[in-house]
Amino acid sequence: MSATASARARKAGPLADHRPAVLAALPAIAVLVIGIPWVQANHLWPFVVTGVTDGSIYALAALGLVLTFKTSGVFNFAIGAQAAASAYVFYSFRVDAGMPWPIAALLSLLLVGVVGSLVLERLALWLAEAPAVRRVVATIGLLVLLQSLLTGLYGTATIAFDDFLPTGLVEIGSVNVGVNQMIVVALAIVATIGLFLFFKSTRLGISMQAVVDDSNLLALQGTNPVKVRRYAWAIGSSFVSISGMLVAPAIGIDVNQLLVLFIAAFGAAAVASFSSLPLAFASAMVIGVSMNLLASQLTSNQNLTISAFYTQVPFLVLVAALALLPPRRLVERGARRVRRARPIRAFPRQAVYGTTATVVAVALLIPDLVGPGDLTQYTTGVGFVVIFMSLGLLLWTSGQISLCHMAFAAVGATSFAHAQHNGVPWLLAMLFAVAVTVPVGAIVAIPSFRLTGTYLAVITFGVGLLFQKLLYGTFLMFGKFDNQQVTRPDALNMSGDRGYYYLSLAVAGVCALAVVAVRRSRLGRLLRGLADSPVALDAHGANTRLTRLFVFCISAAMAAVGGVLIAGVTTSASGNPSGSFGYFNSLVMVAVLTFCGRQPLLSPIAAAFLFVVLKIYPPFDSGFFVDYQGVFFGALALAVAVVPGIARVQPSRRGALRTPEGGPVRARRDLQLRGAWV
Amino acid sequence: MTTGQLPDLTVENLTVRFGGLTAVNNVSLTAGSGSITGMLGPNGAGKTTTFNACTGVVPAWAGTLHLGDCRLNGRSTASRAAHGLGRTFQRMELFDSMTVRENVALGPEAAMSARRPWGQLFCPAKEAREIRSRTSTAIDLCGLGALANRTSGDLSTGQRRLVELARAIASPFRFLLLDEPSSGLDVQETEQFGAILRTFVAETGIGVLLVEHDMALVADVCTYIHVLDFGCKIFEGTTAETMSSDIVRAAYLGSEGVSAAAEGLAHA
Repeated sequence: MSATASARARKAGPLADHRPAVLAALPAIAVLVIGIPWVQANHLWPFVVTGVTDGSIYALAALGLVLTFKTSGVFNFAIGAQAAASAYVFYSFRVDAGMPWPIAALLSLLLVGVVGSLVLERLALWLAEAPAVRRVVATIGLLVLLQSLLTGLYGTATIAFDDFLPTGLVEIGSVNVGVNQMIVVALAIVATIGLFLFFKSTRLGISMQAVVDDSNLLALQGTNPVKVRRYAWAIGSSFVSISGMLVAPAIGIDVNQLLVLFIAAFGAAAVASFSSLPLAFASAMVIGVSMNLLASQLTSNQNLTISAFYTQVPFLVLVAALALLPPRRLVERGARRVRRARPIRAFPRQAVYGTTATVVAVALLIPDLVGPGDLTQYTTGVGFVVIFMSLGLLLWTSGQISLCHMAFAAVGATSFAHAQHNGVPWLLAMLFAVAVTVPVGAIVAIPSFRLTGTYLAVITFGVGLLFQKLLYGTFLMFGKFDNQQVTRPDALNMSGDRGYYYLSLAVAGVCALAVVAVRRSRLGRLLRGLADSPVALDAHGANTRLTRLFVFCISAAMAAVGGVLIAGVTTSASGNPSGSFGYFNSLVMVAVLTFCGRQPLLSPIAAAFLFVVLKIYPPFDSGFFVDYQGVFFGALALAVAVVPGIARVQPSRRGALRTPEGGPVRARRDLQLRGAWV
Repeated sequence: MTTGQLPDLTVENLTVRFGGLTAVNNVSLTAGSGSITGMLGPNGAGKTTTFNACTGVVPAWAGTLHLGDCRLNGRSTASRAAHGLGRTFQRMELFDSMTVRENVALGPEAAMSARRPWGQLFCPAKEAREIRSRTSTAIDLCGLGALANRTSGDLSTGQRRLVELARAIASPFRFLLLDEPSSGLDVQETEQFGAILRTFVAETGIGVLLVEHDMALVADVCTYIHVLDFGCKIFEGTTAETMSSDIVRAAYLGSEGVSAAAEGLAHA
């Protein structure tokens, strides 16, 4: 070893390999040393107890998330919806069917936890060799599907749910602690320790860690990877299901609320690098306690943003963890097995020109073909075409994932409104909106320098939520009334619906030309290279950070233009979560665009038609479709994501489904029978 | 030392560690310009890790890396490539959605895009002409003319290896690291590959460091060889010296294997 190396070894000392753990423990000890006397002095122990109970519920969900991600490489964005499903089913059995709670809970666990795990395990198997985008889209599709299904079946109102665990109180020190709280905490502690020991000391646990990296190698060692995955999903899904049932009495059952609440589990898992179970448990506790302590201090504040700040803790933890963790700790699981997507089919030039001419002609005739009421829907559709084009540029051309795209559109719409309020003319206000949104795109691009695939999807999801929960309600964006008024341009009769439609169409046409220009430029070639092999692009000297920065900025700018057009349709922009700029739309849009394909212009047009316009025509204008459209979009996205993987799974002679990994297991047994060994 | 403008690659006391595992331990080597230097070693010897450390894919824990007079330590992968250090990959890294011509062209285009801050947005006519010229030359040298408009994702392993080589040749690199470039090629393709490599080095004077398991190819094209085992350099010498070295044979076959082979030869 060289002198330098020896010196570094001496300097590093015996703790060199444990440095991350030591560094993580130091601030925790500091917080405890300062925090305990502060809590004692301010009589905040009841909040700590509630926080520990909440943290235990988040911990159970985080353990389920980490376990399934570790063993499949599939990040389950749908855990909030899964937990909600479990709570609703529990409610149905207990309240509607009048069953005793233990039986109702067991049935819910079996139905959502165990049966659900079989479905999820099968999906994960089909996604085993899928690129990150398809893995993300699959669970986003599942999330959209479940959210829509549960909202359709149970409504949007929060359902009150009585305590089912014993509610007696036990005095510990000077604090009364509920028996139900003690049971929840004990459950989380036992689950964490049990899982930790299981992973460390049992053959199945060790196999679970190996299965995602090389299931064939695992099979050669005589362990059936299908069985290993199935156990992992069963345990993980059961944990999520139990956490859903446990949280119901505290906050009631509301799928949309639970979706947001379970982001705490995402945050805890992120701090644990989606890998360490004890750290996930500890992080969940910290999130739970800090939320309750902040709530105790801030809820009386007059400012709504400050008083509700405690609800932002999970999103802040999620984004901060992913932004600060060293990239080496965020390994894209199963990446070695990924099969690259087939290239986009190139159509003959005549077909492209013919289709373009047809689409343009139909678009120009729309105001004469549809009624005045429907025309506004088409204009909104044109705005969404622009946003879908910008999303496609990011998703398909460059291989980057954005789950916060409507945040860009919202920044554009609100900047446009602010500029108009200050007397800026329409066109200049739009340019101002673009100028404001480009730096936002640049900031969101920064995580993409370090993170790819699933992790980039998770952090952009967190950014979208932060925008919705932290910034939408401020004076910078929609304001405390969640609304900004805008006006249409007066010139050339464009303030009317017909004129505004043509104006929107012209702007969308310019954006379409911009997309074509980008794709044909050097940047377009670099973006395609980035999507195919960032490593090769890097190794040939291209600054891939700059490439990512450019594509995020261009995409954000186009999304801002789309946001301006959408706001102009109703002459007001709303930051309501269920409105056009709601964070959930960013997820649904990724699902819809995936279903519509990877063509740069035709796919966005088809996606916008499906997403916005289709609902004005029978039978899609029915209340049933409106209630359950998420089920259709989610199912379609799920299908598009998993169908290529289904062909990989070969049907066995007995007719049962069998994976290719089954081969080596049988081969090994054959070799053993013949006395041979490899 | 450089021949004209072309640099040598110098690695001094390189150590690469992954946590508690030392993958490369105090390795020093020099690979000159205008020649093909081999790097041999059994699987897990640290050859690809050495390449990764040279190109900045993994950090060097200790040691220095120089391309000519340019110190490479601390630079990013892209910066090292911009200074002229190119490589191919053991697990091929092609732009699979592109045609062979587009693949090869994106090599020099990526390098040129880094010359100016806005270089990624615009391609000046002069650079476009240079890219076309470099692409055509590399495609012709590698005999890929008939495949130029095929999508690279549809090609056989051997053809894909040639595309990767052509892309590296087309790029304005001043030294090349080739990581098992003949892996997956049949005998005929390997011979063709060796001929292309020799022609390229003879015509350009660029130095090549070649990691390879195919002894026939190594013996055919390399002038000097470094041998690694368990992360340490165990031998260096001319091709003839390396091929006759007991140390090298022991590393590949194990000492028992060498004895058995020797006995086998004696019986024969």
